[in-house]
Amino acid sequence: MKTITLTVNGTAYQETVAPRLLLVDLIRERLALTGTHVSCTYEGACGACTVLLDGDAVKSCMMLAVQADGHSITTVEGLAVDGQLTPLQQAFKEEHGLQCGFCTPGILMNMTDFLKKNPRPTDAEIRHGLIGNLCRCTGYINIVKAVRAAARAAAAQTGGQ
Amino acid sequence: MFPVAIEEYRRPKTLVEARLALDGYDPDDIVLLAGGQSVMQAIKARMVRPRCIVDLQDLAELRGMSRADGLTIGALTRYVEIAEDTGLTGGYAALRDAAQHVGDRQVRNRGTIGGSVCWNYVASCLPAVVLGLGATVDLLAVDGKSRQIAIDDFLIGPLETARRPDEFLVSLHLPKLGAGSGSAYRKWGLVTDALPVVGVCVLITLASDGKIAAARVSLSGLAAGAQRAQAAEFILTGSDGGDAAITAAFAEAAGAADAQADKWADSAYRRQLIRTLGREVAETALQRARAGSTGAKP
Ligand SMILES: Cc1cc2nc3c(=O)[nH]c(=O)nc-3n(C[C@H](O)[C@@H](O)[C@@H](O)COP(=O)(O)OP(=O)(O)OC[C@H]3O[C@@H](n4cnc5c(N)ncnc54)[C@H](O)[C@@H]3O)c2cc1C
Ligand code: FES
Ligand code: FES
Repeated sequence: MKTITLTVNGTAYQETVAPRLLLVDLIRERLALTGTHVSCTYEGACGACTVLLDGDAVKSCMMLAVQADGHSITTVEGLAVDGQLTPLQQAFKEEHGLQCGFCTPGILMNMTDFLKKNPRPTDAEIRHGLIGNLCRCTGYINIVKAVRAAARAAAAQTGGQ
Repeated sequence: MFPVAIEEYRRPKTLVEARLALDGYDPDDIVLLAGGQSVMQAIKARMVRPRCIVDLQDLAELRGMSRADGLTIGALTRYVEIAEDTGLTGGYAALRDAAQHVGDRQVRNRGTIGGSVCWNYVASCLPAVVLGLGATVDLLAVDGKSRQIAIDDFLIGPLETARRPDEFLVSLHLPKLGAGSGSAYRKWGLVTDALPVVGVCVLITLASDGKIAAARVSLSGLAAGAQRAQAAEFILTGSDGGDAAITAAFAEAAGAADAQADKWADSAYRRQLIRTLGREVAETALQRARAGSTGAKP
C-alpha cells in the first residue's frame, strides 16, 4: 500500500491505495465521484473516463492512482461552481448536446481542455478534438454544435477578442 | 479488467535514482512506466504482470527537445509537444505529421515518443518515422554505461527492440537536416487517426542541381514491423523526383513488401496503400525540401 496526496476538484485528499488501483476507480469508488464513467474499460478507446490532470484531458482508466500523487485532478463534478454551469455545460443543455448522457462527462472534460487551448476552433478542429470520445447515441452533430456555441458565448463575453 | 497485484511503485527523481530504482527485482518483473498509453492496456489485460513499477514521470532529464547539432528529443517528450512545435519543418516535418494524428487528444496528452519506440508495436507511427529520419538511440544501463545505436539496429521486430530490460531510453537524436531536406508521414487507418493499416514516411535531401541526393523511405503497419523500403530509396536517389520516378519507386516498394492479409486489409489493398500513400508522402516531402532550398516557408 502507498499513501498519496492529490487534489480533486480543489479539495486535498490523502489516500492509502494499492499500487494496482486505477485512477478511475479511486475517483469513482473511493471518492464517490461517479460522474466519471467507465465504458471500454481497458482499450482506452471510449473517453468516458476523461478527467483533467493538471489541466490536460487524460483517460483516467489508463493511469494508476499512485501516478496522480502530487497532482491536481478535475472531474465533471468540479466544473460548475455553486450550481452555476460553465458556458460549455450551458451550451450542451441548450443545444441538446446529450441524449442518454453517458459519454457527456468525458466529452465535457475533453472539450474544457480543448477550448482553453483553442478558444476559436473551426468545426473541423472541434471534430478532430472529439476523436477520443465515443457517443453510442451518435449525437455528434449536436455535440459539435454545443462546443461551437460555447466557444462563441465565451468570445462574446470577452468582447469578441 | 484489473491489473495483477503490484508490490512496489517507485518514482525516481533523477537518472541516478532511476538506476537504483531497478534494484531488488529481476528486470523482467519491472515495468518502466512513461505515458502508459500502451503498457497500461497490457497490464490491465494481465498480458504484462509487473511486480514493480518504476514511474519515469519525474525524470526532467528525459523531457523536451533541443536543437544543438541536429535535433535531440527526450524520451518522455509527449506527442502533444511534438504536434505543437511549429519549428519542426523541412526534414523534421514528418514528426509533426505523425504526432498530430496519433490516436486522440487524450492519448497525445500522455503518450511519449520514447514509449512508442520502446513498445514498437506493428501498427504504430513514431517507430517508422524515426526510422525514416535516421535517428540514433541513446540508452543508459543500470550500471551507468550508455550506448548509442542506430534506429535500424534498435527496432528488431514487433514488440521487440535491442533495449535490454535494465536500460533506459534517454533520447532520440536526429541528424542535422538543413535547407534542402524535407520529410512527410501519412497513414491510413479504419477510422480517422486510428492505428495505421499502412503508414509511409519519406525523407528527401536535394542536391544543388535540384535532383534527389538522398532518400530514406520507411513503412509502418506491415507484419514484420517498422521497416525501410530500400527498393524505393534506390529508385528515388539520383532521380529528378518526377512523376515517373515516384510511381516506379512505390510500385517497387509495394511489390517488395511482405504485405500480410488480416481483417483490416488484404495484401493487395496494403500494396495499393503503399503506392497511394507513398506518392502523396513523397510529393509532400519534395515540396518541403524545395521550399527549404529556395528559402520559402515550407
Ligand atoms: C486509443 C489509442 C489510440 C492510439 N493510436 C495510436 C496511433 O494512431 N498511432 C500510434 O503510433 N500509436 C497509437 N497508440 C499507441 C500509443 O502511441 C502508445 O504506443 C504510446 O503512447 C506509448 O508511449 P507511452 O509513453 O504511453 O508508453 P508506455 O505505455 O508507458 O510504455 C510503453 C513501453 O515502453 C517502455 N518505455 C517507455 N518509456 C521508456 C524509456 N524511457 N526507457 C525504457 N523503456 C521505456 C515501457 O516499459 C513499456 O514497455 C494509441 C493508443 C491508444 C490508447
Ligand atoms: S473507460 Fe477509459 S477510455 Fe474507455
Ligand atoms: S449521449 Fe448517449 S452515449 Fe453519448
